[in-house]
Amino acid sequence: MDIREKLKDSILFFDGAMGTMLQERGLKRGEVPETYNIIYPQIVKEIHQKYIEAGTDIITTNTFGANELKLKDTSYSVEEIIDAAVKNAKEVAGNKYVALDMGPIGQMMEPMGTLKFERAYDIFKRQVIAGTKAGCDLILIETISDLYEMKAAVLAAKENSNLPIFATMTFEEDGRTFTGTDPISMVVFLEGIGVDVLGMNCSLGPNESKHIVTKILDYASIPVMIQPNAGLPKIVDGNTVYDVTPEEFGTTIEELQSLGVRVFGGCCGTNDNFIREVVNRLKDKDSAKIENKEFTAVTSATKNVIIDEVVIIGERINPTGKKKFKEALRNKDIDYILKEAILQKEKGAHVLDVNVGLPEIDEISLLRDVTKEVQSIVDLPLQIDSTDPVAIEAAIRGYNGKAIINSVNGKESVMKDIFPIVKKYGACVVGLTLDEDGIPSKAEDRVKIAEKIIKRAKEYGIDKKHILIDCLVLTASAQQEEVLETIKAVKMVKEKFNVRTTLGVSNVSFGLPNRRLLNKTFLSMALASGLDAPIINPKDDDILETVYAYKVLANEDRDAKVYIDKFKHVKNVKQDVKTSDLTLQEIIIKGLKAEAKDKTIELLKEKSALKIVNEDLIPALDIVGNRFEEGSVFLPQLIISAETVKVAFEVIKEKIKKEEEQISKGKLILATVQGDIHDIGKNIVKVILENYGFEVIDLGKDVDPMKIVEVAKDENIKLIGLSALMTTTVKSMEETIRLLRENEVGCKVFVGGAVLNEEYAQMIKADFYAKDAKVAVEIANKVLN
Amino acid sequence: MCIDKKEVLRYLGYKNQHMDEKLNNLIDECMAEIKSISKPKYVYDIFSINKDNGFTLENTNFILEGKNIKDHLKNSTKCAVMVATLGSMVDSKIKYYEKISLTRALILDACATTYIEHICDGVEDEIKEIARKEGKNITFRYSPGYGDFSIKVQSKILNILDANKRVGVTSTESSILIPRKSVTAFIGFQIEEKEKINKCLSCNKYKSCSFRKGEISCGY
Repeated sequence: MDIREKLKDSILFFDGAMGTMLQERGLKRGEVPETYNIIYPQIVKEIHQKYIEAGTDIITTNTFGANELKLKDTSYSVEEIIDAAVKNAKEVAGNKYVALDMGPIGQMMEPMGTLKFERAYDIFKRQVIAGTKAGCDLILIETISDLYEMKAAVLAAKENSNLPIFATMTFEEDGRTFTGTDPISMVVFLEGIGVDVLGMNCSLGPNESKHIVTKILDYASIPVMIQPNAGLPKIVDGNTVYDVTPEEFGTTIEELQSLGVRVFGGCCGTNDNFIREVVNRLKDKDSAKIENKEFTAVTSATKNVIIDEVVIIGERINPTGKKKFKEALRNKDIDYILKEAILQKEKGAHVLDVNVGLPEIDEISLLRDVTKEVQSIVDLPLQIDSTDPVAIEAAIRGYNGKAIINSVNGKESVMKDIFPIVKKYGACVVGLTLDEDGIPSKAEDRVKIAEKIIKRAKEYGIDKKHILIDCLVLTASAQQEEVLETIKAVKMVKEKFNVRTTLGVSNVSFGLPNRRLLNKTFLSMALASGLDAPIINPKDDDILETVYAYKVLANEDRDAKVYIDKFKHVKNVKQDVKTSDLTLQEIIIKGLKAEAKDKTIELLKEKSALKIVNEDLIPALDIVGNRFEEGSVFLPQLIISAETVKVAFEVIKEKIKKEEEQISKGKLILATVQGDIHDIGKNIVKVILENYGFEVIDLGKDVDPMKIVEVAKDENIKLIGLSALMTTTVKSMEETIRLLRENEVGCKVFVGGAVLNEEYAQMIKADFYAKDAKVAVEIANKVLN
Repeated sequence: MCIDKKEVLRYLGYKNQHMDEKLNNLIDECMAEIKSISKPKYVYDIFSINKDNGFTLENTNFILEGKNIKDHLKNSTKCAVMVATLGSMVDSKIKYYEKISLTRALILDACATTYIEHICDGVEDEIKEIARKEGKNITFRYSPGYGDFSIKVQSKILNILDANKRVGVTSTESSILIPRKSVTAFIGFQIEEKEKINKCLSCNKYKSCSFRKGEISCGY
C-alpha cells in the first residue's frame, strides 16, 4: 500500500537512532557513519533488523550525511553509498517501508554562510535521484535548523522524484531552531510547499518537545510527526549522556499521541527498546482526526504574519514615481533599497512589497537579487510584485519562507501563468478584480471576477485561504463616482467568500492636493468595510496612526495596549527646530549626525557644494584622522565622525545632482574576497573613502574573482581594494589578483585585512598594502589623482 | 553584567582617550543588546591522547598536526575539546546595523567578541573542575589559528563533537566558523600549573600588531 494511503487513518512508526547504534558497534567519533553501508553492511542490516523486530513500520537508511560535501574525504561517491544503504535496508525490510534519510549538508547557507541556494539544491538533488533509483518508498528530510536549507531539500525532492516527503526540523527549548525559525513559520512554509508530513526531531527529549508540538498541531492541517531524543543531552564528567528511560519516553509519547501526533520515532540516544515501548503502547490506538486550519499566513525564515488582524504592507520598494529610486535601480545601488526596507520595518510595516519594474532593466535577475538582499537584512515576509511570471518565479524560488505573489487577475492567460507558481512554491497570492475587459465599474461585477479567481485557484489546488482579493482603488480625481464601489466590493467579497482583502490605498488621492487627508479617510472607510491588508506608506505617520486608531476601535488592539504605548508621550506642541551653533567642522569632530544635516543645508545657502567639501568636510576629516593616528581619538570616534560626514555628503550630493557639478575624485572597487565573509573592516574603508569624495563600487563579501574582473572591465576601473581576514582566504585574494592580471585589467590593487602585512602583500603580487583606512585614502589619492 | 566593559574598550582600541557621555552610553547599550540577543551554547568532550601512534584522540579518527599543539599538550594524557557559540542572531543584528550605523555594528562586534570569551572562560572553569577531581591542573585554551595549528581542522573538531547537531556551529569551505562568534579550543589535563607563556610570540602579526605597542595584548 502506498504510504500516503496509510497516512490517511493510521499511526505510523519510524525507527530510532542509527548513529547511537553504530557507535555502540564500534563507530569512532569523526568517522563517516555512511561508509559502514559498504564496509560493514552486516552491522547496518543488524540495526535495521532490530528496529523491525521492535515493530517499526518504516526503516530509515543510513544516509543522514550521504552528501557530496561530507563524503568528499572518503573514497565513495554519493551514489555508491546510497545504493548500498538502500540495498541493506531493502534486504531486511520485508513489507516495511524504506525511507531515504537526508540530514543537513553541514555548511551554513547564504546569507549567514557561503553555501549558495542553487548549490545546496544540487547537493540534495544528487541524493534524491540516487535514493529514488535505488527504490526507496519515501524521503525523510530531518534535523534541519535552517528553513532555507529545508526549501532546497524539499524542492530537490519534489522536482526529482514523486516519493512522499516527510520533513522535520530541530528546535531548541526556547521554541526556535538554531537559525531562528519558530514552529508556526515552519508549518506555514512546509504545508505551503506541499510536504506530506511535517514535524520535529532531535535536540530535545519528548517532555521538552511538548510545548513545541502543541503549537505545530494547532496550526497544521497535515499529519504531524515527532522523533525526539532520549531526553536532553547532559555532560557528565565530560561525556554526553541521555537520561530518559524507554518507559518514560513511551509515557510522554502516548501523551503526544493523544494531542494529535500521527507519526512517531526516536532520535539521538534512542534504540530498539525505545521503539518497542512506543509501538506497544500505541499500536492499538486510533489516529486523531486532522482538522483543516483556516488561517492566512505568510512568513520569512524567522517571522510569520497571520492575517487575522490589520496587516500593513509597505509599498515603498517601488520605482513608480520615484526619481531617486529609479536611479538606485539603474546603478544597482542595493544599499539604497535596503535602507528603504529598514525604514519601513522600523516604522511598523508587517510585510514589504518588492517591485523593481523599470522598462530598461533586467527585471528577472534584479527582482531575484533584491528579494534575496532584502531578506538578508530585514526579517519581514515579502510580497513579490511583478507582471512578469518569469521574474516572479525566479524571485520566489530563492525566497526564504512563504511569500505573497502580487498579483494574478481574472484574465485566463494570467491565471494560467501564475497559479502553477503559487501552488508549486506554496505562496499567497493577490487577486485583482479585473479581467480581459478591464476594471468593472460596478462592485457586483468585481465580486464576480473575485469569484472566478477563487474558483480557478481551487482547480489548481489552491485554497481560498491563500488568496487576498484586491478590489482595486480608483482615483477620486478621475473616477470619483467609483471610489465607493471599491468600498462596497470589499464588503461584498468579505461577506460572500470570507477571504482576506488588500488594497493599494494611496491610489485614491492621485492628482489632488493634501493627499494624506484623502488617503487616511479612505483607509478608515475601507478598514471598516473589511480591508485586512492595506498596502500603504508606513513612513507616512498620518496613515500609520489611522491603522493604530482603527485597531483600538475595532477591538483588535485589546485594552489599547499598543496604542497607549505608541502615543502616551505625544504632546500637542511642536518643538522648535534650531540649527546648531557649532560649526560643521565641530559637528563632524563631535560626531553629531542629526545636526550635520541641518547645518549642511544652512551652509549650502552661503557657499557652493564643492567649497563645503574642501573647506569643511575634508579638513574636519583630516583633523579626526590625525587625532586617530596619534591616538587621541579611538576607532568608534573615527567612525562616528565618518558617518557624520556621510550625512553631510548626502545633502551635498542632492544639491550637486541639481547643479550638475562634479566632485567625484574617481571610482574604485572594494570587495571581500571569495570564501571570506568578514565585512566590517572593508565597510570602514568604504565609508572613509567615500568621505574623501571617492566613488566606491562595493561588491560585498565572498565575491567571485571573475565578478571583480568583469565589473573592473565594464566600469574601466583603475583601483581595486581587496580584503581578507583569514589565512585560508588570502589564497583567494592571490587568485583574484592573478585573474585580474591574466585578464589584463589595467588596474592597481591594494590589499588589507587582519592576517596581511607588507611582505605578504608583495608575495601575492598586490601593488599596495593598506594597514588601515587612512592609508587606503593615501593610496587612492596617489593612484586616482 | 558579565560583559567586561574594559575588554570591549580594549577591542575597540581604547587607550584612555576622552570619551563623551553619548559614546559611553552607546557602548553600555550595545553590551546589553549583545547579552539579550545571544544564545550562548557550548559542548565539550574529554578524550585520552594517544601519543604512540602519531598524536591521536582516542576513540576518534582525529590526528593532531603541527608542532605547537603537540607542544601545548606535551604534558597531557587527556584533553578536553570544546566549542562555544553565541548563536546566529548576533550575526544578523550586526549585519543589520552595518547598514544603518557602522559605529553601532563595530561596538556590537567588540561586545560579542568579549562575551564569547567570557562564555569560554566559564566552560574552561567547568573543565578545570573535572580535572581537579582527577588531581590535575589544566593548560590554557589553545585554538586553531594559533601558531602552526591550522584552522583547517575546524570541520574535524566540529565533527568529533557533533557540533552541528548539538550547538548549531558549522564551518565554511574556508574554515570560517558560522555563527561568526564561535570558538573551538583544546585544553590539556596536566599535573603542572598553567604555564604563563607569551602567546604573542606565536602570532603571525607579532611585528605589526597595534595592540602590542602599548601595555596591552590583543587578548589571545
